[in-house]
Amino acid sequence: MSLSVQERAEYVATFRFIQVFLMETLARWVPPTPEMEVKVLFGRHIWDLAQQADALGRRGYELRAPLQFSLRPAESYVEVLEEFARTNTTPQKIHGFYDVILPGLAARYRNYLERTDRLLDEPTVRVVEKILGEFNRMIGESEALRKELSQLRLTDKDWPAGLAKREASEANIVVRRSSAAVA
Amino acid sequence: MAGMKPEETKQVKGMTLRRDPAREACFKVVDSDAELEEWPGMTEISRRQRIHRHMNNETGAIEIAAQCLVDFPEAPWELRMHLARQCWDESRHVAGLYRRLREIGGYKGEFPISCFEWCVTCSLDTLAARLALQNRTFEAGELDLLGQLPAKWREAGDEKTAEVLESILGDEITHVRFANQWLRVLVREDRRLALKIAMAVRFLSAVTAALAPQDGQLSPVGLPYEEPQNRITQVNVADRKQADFTDSEIDEYLRQSGFQPIMTGNAEG
Repeated sequence: MSLSVQERAEYVATFRFIQVFLMETLARWVPPTPEMEVKVLFGRHIWDLAQQADALGRRGYELRAPLQFSLRPAESYVEVLEEFARTNTTPQKIHGFYDVILPGLAARYRNYLERTDRLLDEPTVRVVEKILGEFNRMIGESEALRKELSQLRLTDKDWPAGLAKREASEANIVVRRSSAAVA
Repeated sequence: MAGMKPEETKQVKGMTLRRDPAREACFKVVDSDAELEEWPGMTEISRRQRIHRHMNNETGAIEIAAQCLVDFPEAPWELRMHLARQCWDESRHVAGLYRRLREIGGYKGEFPISCFEWCVTCSLDTLAARLALQNRTFEAGELDLLGQLPAKWREAGDEKTAEVLESILGDEITHVRFANQWLRVLVREDRRLALKIAMAVRFLSAVTAALAPQDGQLSPVGLPYEEPQNRITQVNVADRKQADFTDSEIDEYLRQSGFQPIMTGNAEG
């Protein structure tokens, strides 16, 4: 069974919540991060994440949700995001965001593409595929910066694995609502 | 100003300001523009110092727009989109200026820097007041400067820097425009914001006066400070119009800037 229209709307609104959260996370990190090149990297990607949230917010409206509507994901996933947003050091911010959180979200987007009807839900498919392509560019830009600035490399090699484990621990992040709560 | 925790503030000459954002250890951060090195003319060191200073100001602009996204999550989504876009634009400005700085032999931390605009703007507790200072005052002032500077760099034989500055000008017009448009909407919806904006402008005047150099004081490069009346930049009427300042707002600004005699011709042009 493919996803119903309401389920699609719930997924899209949940993804939008995450995109806005990640945009705000990078924004929160810009002033206290010392490295100028990293401020530039985050500043570039704040706009990417905002546009992706905006596209999802418009698509949700087409799926009978309010315009620019967000749904809070499962609490355990929100806790992972909130804990990660409190990360202090620049290498952890960079490695955690670009090596764990974005790839983890990309996996959830790909899972959505596998589950939805790619013809009937093609507008969402196109939005999601565009986001996935942009994630690859964003990750590539962070890797290029890490090659340029050796001080951004992580000394604790186990740290990303721990974060990845927590990120993946909640397989289904969408909280089902009554149709009235979505519309 | 209200809303800041003590650990987020700093005291400068009796004024309470937002504490500086983080900078790398290579930078020497000072509290006011008067403490910056300002080399005269368009010598090699002056050119590096100008780009270095501009690069840091653009870094501050990323930080201010980003902090507005954090501090005002309930702002209308369209306005937040403008702020997010501004983060990208200012990031590209920093990268473009840093590239140019390195091309002419400069490097990060070569000169002292000041985060004055951040320290003042991020002391304010409403988005309307921050837009009024950062976008509508500081960035609008940059429109005036950038209206003149490319010609100055070209005269000095530096076409590349002139092109960088012209690209930045185009983006800054957009930032001033969205602030002008949204301030009208926000104030129409909540008239109390007009008072907040007026208080913000007074706060800026008070901080500027407190941090101004004393009579007879020499600048860090050992020269007397230019008199304020000699520092006035020609008002960039055409680009202020592009940025959606009304004719009456431009007239008023020209009057305050001492450009009254040329006001009518330019404002109508």
